[in-house]
Amino acid sequence: MAQPTALSMMRNRAEVAAKLRRLLPKIQALRNAPAIPFGVAAIDHYLPQGGLAGGGLHEFVPEAGATPAAFGFIVALLARLSQPHPLFLVLPSYGRRDFGRPYGHGLSALGLDPRRLILVETAHRNETLWALEEALRSRAPSAVVGAIDKLDLKSSQRLQLAATDAGLPLLLLRPAQNLESSAAATRWRVGARQAARDRFGLFVRPRWHLQLERCRNGRPGEWLVEYDHVAHRFSLAAALADHALSRSAGEKPLRQAHRS
Amino acid sequence: MLALTAAGGPRIAALNEAAEAAGLAPGEPLADARAKAGDLQVRAVDEAADDAALRRLALWATRYTPTASPWNAENGADGFFLDIEGAAHLFGGEEKLLADLSSRLEYFGLPARFAVADTSGAAWALSRFHPAPCTVLPSGEEARALKPLPIEALRLSPETCTTLRRLGFKSVGLLLDKPRAPFAARFPAELLRRLDQALGRLDEPLVPIVAPPVYHCLRYLLEPILTQEAVVALARRLMHTLVHVLTRDDVGARGLRLCLYRVDGAVETVDIGLTLPTRNVAYVARLIDLKLEAVAAMQEASFGFEAVGLAVTRAEPIPARQNELIEDADDAGRNERSAALIDTLRQRLGPQSVRRFTAIASHLPERAEALAPVTGEVPPAPRPAPEQEAEKPRPLLILPHAEPTEVTALVPDGPPRRFRWRGVTYEIAGAQGPERIGAEWWRLANIPDHSRESGNSALDEEKKLGPRLRGDERRHAPTRDYYLVEDADGRRFWLYREGLYERETASARWFVHGLFA
Repeated sequence: MAQPTALSMMRNRAEVAAKLRRLLPKIQALRNAPAIPFGVAAIDHYLPQGGLAGGGLHEFVPEAGATPAAFGFIVALLARLSQPHPLFLVLPSYGRRDFGRPYGHGLSALGLDPRRLILVETAHRNETLWALEEALRSRAPSAVVGAIDKLDLKSSQRLQLAATDAGLPLLLLRPAQNLESSAAATRWRVGARQAARDRFGLFVRPRWHLQLERCRNGRPGEWLVEYDHVAHRFSLAAALADHALSRSAGEKPLRQAHRS
Repeated sequence: MLALTAAGGPRIAALNEAAEAAGLAPGEPLADARAKAGDLQVRAVDEAADDAALRRLALWATRYTPTASPWNAENGADGFFLDIEGAAHLFGGEEKLLADLSSRLEYFGLPARFAVADTSGAAWALSRFHPAPCTVLPSGEEARALKPLPIEALRLSPETCTTLRRLGFKSVGLLLDKPRAPFAARFPAELLRRLDQALGRLDEPLVPIVAPPVYHCLRYLLEPILTQEAVVALARRLMHTLVHVLTRDDVGARGLRLCLYRVDGAVETVDIGLTLPTRNVAYVARLIDLKLEAVAAMQEASFGFEAVGLAVTRAEPIPARQNELIEDADDAGRNERSAALIDTLRQRLGPQSVRRFTAIASHLPERAEALAPVTGEVPPAPRPAPEQEAEKPRPLLILPHAEPTEVTALVPDGPPRRFRWRGVTYEIAGAQGPERIGAEWWRLANIPDHSRESGNSALDEEKKLGPRLRGDERRHAPTRDYYLVEDADGRRFWLYREGLYERETASARWFVHGLFA
């Protein structure tokens, strides 16, 4: 009786080894996808990995009339990515009428080298979804950005899966209407705020009102951030009229402060 | 019967067998023909359609060899040359190739005459004037074979032929053993050139209908194939064959052409461009699959394809590279994947859909940048000097056309206080500017679309300014003053006022040109 058990154990072992081997790449992929930290402890410690998950779908929903601002916030996030690989930006052609097209000199004004960006124009939603997934599955870019008018739960699950498998961040801009439940790792609501100006009255740092509405394994939060395009750095805006908001935003545990 | 309008009334251009049996011949005046044979059906010659049909047939004939050259008007425009050197053995010899060609043409309902010879001149002569419809001339026999043929077999102009006949030279043989000098002196150079070309003393390059590819591979099928999967599978096998040659020469394909030869004689071609040279079979097969889906090539496949060819139209060297053990850690692999992704997107979304920003040296914002299709490696684009960048705000999003807006300002040439755009009124909380951007005087007719719409203001301008603006000067767009404005909610816009007060215009107009983050 001893021999069969040994054999079955062996078989079990082989199976276990095979299973582990199958799992291993996934774990490695997770390891290989470092989070994208904001560099602001107050925000980062709300997020499970201390930053935006490197592999995952992140949704950005603009407040009324703040679509350019939300796009600018995404661009600022991209500018902080240091990998040299191209960034794929999938934009539907119908958005061109309302918002025009990204302007390279404006991108570099936010600190993003326009040469890193590859612009993909799609004619309708199915093409957009296909292009986003294709870009993720190729694992070629360092991040994929897209704009979409409507996203159902199933498509969002597909994209989230593709993003986690590839270990790449997918930043998706979607309008505030047609919001359905989605499988995204985080959902941010971005609003425009008056920019910081220097003593000559020039606009120096754009400001955004951020609301982390949904965050898997994290907590929702609300902040007012500004962005310095020269240093590629986010920071919390100095206390403004709304005291309660700024105090809650500035609160950070010591442990987290040391880590960042 | 087909008729051609020529000097002295319409003449017969071509006729069918029945008309030939009635004793008519090409070149006869139509009036004579009508007298000879009572009931004639006459149609006008459609040269363009003939030409198109000939080209189509020549394209079809590339199934035998990549070099097919349809005859031009000089050659009679009713046939084509095939350069079958090195291709004949694939069909079991020249006779077999001719037999195959003739049976296929017969199947199309096209009776034809063929000749194989070492020179295109001799082949032309034999196909026209040899009694047998199908001739294969052994090497070096040109002179002997041409001897009994009439002098028209040399492809000479009608005038030269008439003169030669008048002098008693009725066949090529009579010309061959005569001294050359008197002919050179008395006849146009054409005579000796054609003679030399027919005998192989002078080269006659063929003009192929499609540029012959460097690498190409063709497969004939016993049974026509109908489905896209079958075509892709076959393309994959063809690519497999090509890869060996490509590897030998250390090159990869940058451009590929898939030729699908339909049973009814039409040829579908599918062109595929690649961002980086490749030898990857699976990848090429995938691109072909995507492309076939996008183009409607398969929709007309009702008859099926009897032959499929794959050609490398552009080859570029691939530097040899050691494959890394761990694929993910490989940076070069990532570059390749990036190129592959671009190709994939492009096949499905169209060649113009995947683009990259390129900066252009220009002051005008809408002109300072272009979107160019991505090609090869990342191009090092010129960047503006950093201090310049910091000084001048540039919008994140630029509108395709500057949109007119109604602006309220405290003073005419001051910053705006309130503006109305797309039906919404924005109160301006802060403004930065102006940044003055003048028209580029070195470009003429530099008027943006919106100012063309309202011809009145241009006229007013002209009246007011009178003689000061004249000629080309008048056609320049007015100077613009750009403001970056922010409303109370933090939305930022890029507005400009067109025209300088007092100097260029009396009533400046405002436009929204871009949006800031």
